[in-house]
Amino acid sequence: MIEVDGLTVVYGRGETSVPAVAGLSMEVDTYELVSVVGPSGCGKSTLLFVLAGLLRPTAGRVRVHGEEVRGVRRDVALILQDAGLLPWKTVRQNAELALRLQGRKDSADQVLADLGLAGFEKRYPSELSEGMKRRVGIARALALQPRVMLMDEPTANLDSITREHIQNLILGLWWEMGFTGVLVTHDMEEAVFLGRRIYVLSARPARVAEVIENPGMGEPGYRGTPEFAAQVAHLRQVLGGNGA
Amino acid sequence: MTRTFRQALSYLLAVGVVIGLWWGVSWLLETIREREILPTPGVTFAAAVENIGTLASAFGTSALRFLIALAVAFLLGLPLGLAVGFERRLDQYLSPLIYLLYPMPPVALLLFLYLAFGLGEVVRLVVVVMALFFQVVVAAQGAAKYIVPSHVTAVRSAGATRWQIYRHVVLPATLPSVLTAARVSVGLGITMLYIAETKLGVLLGPGGGLGRFIEYYTFRGDISLAGVVGLALLGLLFYVVLELLERFLCRWKFVGARGGA
Repeated sequence: MIEVDGLTVVYGRGETSVPAVAGLSMEVDTYELVSVVGPSGCGKSTLLFVLAGLLRPTAGRVRVHGEEVRGVRRDVALILQDAGLLPWKTVRQNAELALRLQGRKDSADQVLADLGLAGFEKRYPSELSEGMKRRVGIARALALQPRVMLMDEPTANLDSITREHIQNLILGLWWEMGFTGVLVTHDMEEAVFLGRRIYVLSARPARVAEVIENPGMGEPGYRGTPEFAAQVAHLRQVLGGNGA
Repeated sequence: MTRTFRQALSYLLAVGVVIGLWWGVSWLLETIREREILPTPGVTFAAAVENIGTLASAFGTSALRFLIALAVAFLLGLPLGLAVGFERRLDQYLSPLIYLLYPMPPVALLLFLYLAFGLGEVVRLVVVVMALFFQVVVAAQGAAKYIVPSHVTAVRSAGATRWQIYRHVVLPATLPSVLTAARVSVGLGITMLYIAETKLGVLLGPGGGLGRFIEYYTFRGDISLAGVVGLALLGLLFYVVLELLERFLCRWKFVGARGGA
């Protein structure tokens, strides 16, 4: 369970300060997957960084499983926009990076195999396709066996086939592992495909402009249904009316 | 295998060209001025063989001295440069200081260094370390300034400590540029070594080094020139060692889309 109450984040101080998030409140139930969309530069990533404990709120409260977030939590994993792989580490070293940083000796081999990366453990990121890099980024987060998964545009800049693969993968993992997830995206179809609820944010500074219920979500086949198309059209309308 | 062979071949070819040029210049000078000015490669090689004992010991001394100086410059300069480049506040306060001190040639301070450290091994090392230290600091600082933010976020989001950020991101990210800078400054370092060994040493013998060797045989052109060749080979040795070190420590740079260059 994630509770955000009146979150405000202001970058800088004094005259040059820039408000990124202004009084944002949201709630994500345990085992729920929600998506967050909004105009580009509206503060979506800032929200995610606060949830991950990387950024301190200027005001407001953020709680994960009832505990105030005061720093990085071991049960929260973050998937970065371009996967954030370290080019000087092999696939295995990248996948086990978060584990090692936390002093854990577990192996990520099983996770890598599950994500179809067996046999690539000793390769460097520069030797992988873009889609494989994203999967390594996902493996790094999964290896931690997190209860909360935060995803920052995990399919940005991918071709549409690879994008759908990664989206299906995330959906499958959510079913299998049962994490609480927040997915930040600027892709409307992705927001509808992966969000049980869709939080539409306003332009900067970010507030919640609207919450769209999306009960049909949860099956890979949802993509082909008329409800899906209708939800995407509705979302497009909401975002358009929101000055995006 | 073919590539290694071809590379070895190109090195051999380069050696051939250098010797050919050298021979041509000394022949030309001798023809124009009607006396021997630059000893030919053959004469120099003979002089080297004749004095191989002294020459080898001088080479060994200089090589060890340069190695120690390089190691000290790295041990002191790398942490400082990385911290100044990566920590914004340090950058603000220390960068002006570094840029003020960086262009100052230690040679100009020889007298003071000599007075401060005496006429011993220490002062010779200090001169070379001073020159290399700033090269390393400036290279490390420059590279650490442009670390990809998502790499830092990747380790921070897993709860990395400050030390772990340096260990897993800052150091490996900057190592290629720092090693390249070190390779480039081998030339400068060898020059400083020569100056330190000629200006700050008195006797030929153990601890003299190639600089002293060259200076001592000033009036025996062939032997002196053999010492110069030794100095050039010393530079080449460190250049190659640093390149191999980069290939070993930064293997990731040489794989993948960019191709093994």
